[in-house]
Amino acid sequence: MIHYKQRILKNGLTVLVNRDHASKLAAVNLLYKVGARNESEDRTGFAHLFEHLMFRGTHNVPEFDVPVQMACGENNAFTNNDYTNFYITLPKENLSTALWLESDRMANLNISEEACATEKQVVIEEFKQRYLNQPYGDEQPLLRGLAYTTHPYRWSTIGLTPDHIASATTEDVRAFYRLHYHPSRAILAISADLDEELMLDMAEEYFGDIEDNNLAIPAIAEEPAQSEPRRLEVEREVPATDITIAFHMGDRLSRDFFLGDLSSDLLAGGESSRLVNRLVKDKGLFSSVNAYITGSLDKGLFIIKGRLMPSTSEADAEAALWGELNDLKEGNITDYEMEKVKNKFEANMLMGEINIMNKALNLCFYAMTGDTDLVNREAEIYRSLTRDEVKAFAERCFTPNNSSTLIYRAK
Amino acid sequence: MREQPDIIIPDSVTMPRAEVRTTANGVKIYRLDANEFEVVRFTLVFRAGSSMQHKSFAASATANMLGEGSTHLSAQQIADELDFYGSYFDVNIDRDYAYISFCSLKKFFEPTVAVAREIILHPAFPEHEFKIYCSKRKQSLTIERKKVDMQSRELFSEALFGKEHPYGKSSDEALYDELTTDDLRDIYRRLYTAENCFVACSGNIDEDILSQISALVEALPSGEKPSTSMPTPSTTHHLSRDVEGALQTSIRIGRLLFPRTHPDFVGMQVVAALLGGYFGSRLMQNLREANGYTYGVMAAMVNFDKEGYLAIATQVAKEHREDALREIYHEIERLRNETVDEYELQMVKNVMIGEILRILDGPFGIADVTIENIMCGMDNSATEESVTRIFAITADEVKALAEKYLKREDLIEVYAG
Repeated sequence: MIHYKQRILKNGLTVLVNRDHASKLAAVNLLYKVGARNESEDRTGFAHLFEHLMFRGTHNVPEFDVPVQMACGENNAFTNNDYTNFYITLPKENLSTALWLESDRMANLNISEEACATEKQVVIEEFKQRYLNQPYGDEQPLLRGLAYTTHPYRWSTIGLTPDHIASATTEDVRAFYRLHYHPSRAILAISADLDEELMLDMAEEYFGDIEDNNLAIPAIAEEPAQSEPRRLEVEREVPATDITIAFHMGDRLSRDFFLGDLSSDLLAGGESSRLVNRLVKDKGLFSSVNAYITGSLDKGLFIIKGRLMPSTSEADAEAALWGELNDLKEGNITDYEMEKVKNKFEANMLMGEINIMNKALNLCFYAMTGDTDLVNREAEIYRSLTRDEVKAFAERCFTPNNSSTLIYRAK
Repeated sequence: MREQPDIIIPDSVTMPRAEVRTTANGVKIYRLDANEFEVVRFTLVFRAGSSMQHKSFAASATANMLGEGSTHLSAQQIADELDFYGSYFDVNIDRDYAYISFCSLKKFFEPTVAVAREIILHPAFPEHEFKIYCSKRKQSLTIERKKVDMQSRELFSEALFGKEHPYGKSSDEALYDELTTDDLRDIYRRLYTAENCFVACSGNIDEDILSQISALVEALPSGEKPSTSMPTPSTTHHLSRDVEGALQTSIRIGRLLFPRTHPDFVGMQVVAALLGGYFGSRLMQNLREANGYTYGVMAAMVNFDKEGYLAIATQVAKEHREDALREIYHEIERLRNETVDEYELQMVKNVMIGEILRILDGPFGIADVTIENIMCGMDNSATEESVTRIFAITADEVKALAEKYLKREDLIEVYAG
């Protein structure tokens, strides 16, 4: 249970605070509601490039990291398809330093030609290091491109190609800042052992007079319903073949999200899960297996995948994955298994709440979904899921016409 | 724009002391109670790392196979039982030690420790699970070894210690085919004994929980204290490998120095931090921020039981390999020739203190640091003394350390890509 207080400032900034009684640190999390899904198809990788530029300083603070480091702090950021997230942890005595820095770069970022040029190069190296120079590096991007035809989820956060990054102009980048980086597009959360009203007042002091704008955010293209199976087969220099099957499912606030998450846990959550036991340990078909959901804001994917042992044929492997999905469709689920995945969820949640940074991030995330209180209701929702609902979800979701299969074949 | 707020630097760091008790069979249990949390974690540390093995992969296979079936429970039953209560069982292994951890909600401690007894005291090392384990590991090692980063890491260990040294050796993945469950039983018999173990527990540890942990530990078989002597390292100054099709080159530069107990270790941690220990470090500013050669670069002191070394690591665009090497050496020379200014030194100190505060923020982090201290034969005052030493170091001392330990002719350089 994360106790929190909320205040929405006049300029539209949402502020959430949590008093943690154990930590000596403060965690400050600032989420901007912009991710790769807000990019246009000829300018992909932009949200992530921009995350890098947020560290290039302002007129007041030429180097963002210097005051953070001086204050014994640590900061970083990440971008995904839905949002861009910046966070700082430091001794709670230095909370005002973190707020001063974040409010400054929300209002006054200095986007120079030189900074743009260097960050573009760094991001292109990141592209190579993570996606091109890495066995299986292009597997996720290929799967996205197969499963989505229209919605911007069809590209990864890093973008479709390094060329899009290379051709970004400083003017493009400035326009992106104006459009997405202002108070009503942001959510701030603080967790620290400080009075909640005091934290809200401090946030207001630093962020309260930043001007908002009301530029319209372009609508995001909807993904049309899939009506036939999709399949892509590629060959790469890798030691083992991967088979991945993706299925469309509901959005983050739908009951589908919880059903999909619970189903993926039944299949692959831990050593005792179905896929690990039956397909890895008993039958020895795969060296590793996984099932997970993308958990995105807009309609997401349920993904099941396996990495084949050298002796396993592709046909057998694919049939085995479908066999497990069909087993769920037939409703072969025990109460014991249901109880197990629910217990696991509860344990994970309680263990996660030890960390103040997790709490601040969770508050921002749930506020972004539009249902902040969900942060404390999820345990109860998981508890309420029934075997019949899981069966119905499996029947609805795991159909050939809703599937995208990627064969990533070892040469 | 508001004025920059004043920055407040903690003038010391306090770390809770572990309460120690010794079981009837001589095992020390270190307890760090944090009763504001509803979770419990305990870790058994055995001196059973890879440097203790006679056959390649035997030490890690033994540790990783502990949970794959016992005299009374199948692998499936063990996994089921732990998963049912949302409990975790974690195995980590390094060159010196194997760490077996169990973590659960307090209310599910009893069923968790029951499974722990099976895993620790009665492992069966069944053939079927063993075969699967070996073929999985073989495959993932093959994949890892395609990465230039892994290749340069292995080259670096070889250059520091020599191909045959227990710290420098990397084995062909085909050697998994020669491993047998008897090799695992041999390691288990020799190394998973009361004489070769200590335990750290943290979270909500009441007397009842402590006595259940004690009961488990008291059932450990007794054995001999194994020899931990090591051959003298034999260093090679340059190794490289050309990797066809690689887009990037992974570089490692460094040298053998000394383990954490050496009086200059903390000082060299400061030197390493200045060079590449944080985002604003000199190498990061140069290689990434000013030149865009790389996505990241780091430098750190690494501590083993009998040795310690400095490592600088980065992965750069292939065409910038020579540029990156030149700039790395340039930054090293600058540390040797110029006195660091007070502001930068203060910043590095604050970054290091901040890092320690973050690690110590939470019961499990405190337990991890306690374990590191115990391995070096120290108690938790060692962490506080390190902090005092970091605050006290002067710019002249930093320069003197760099001059003494970072001579170009003493450095090792490897790259792959």
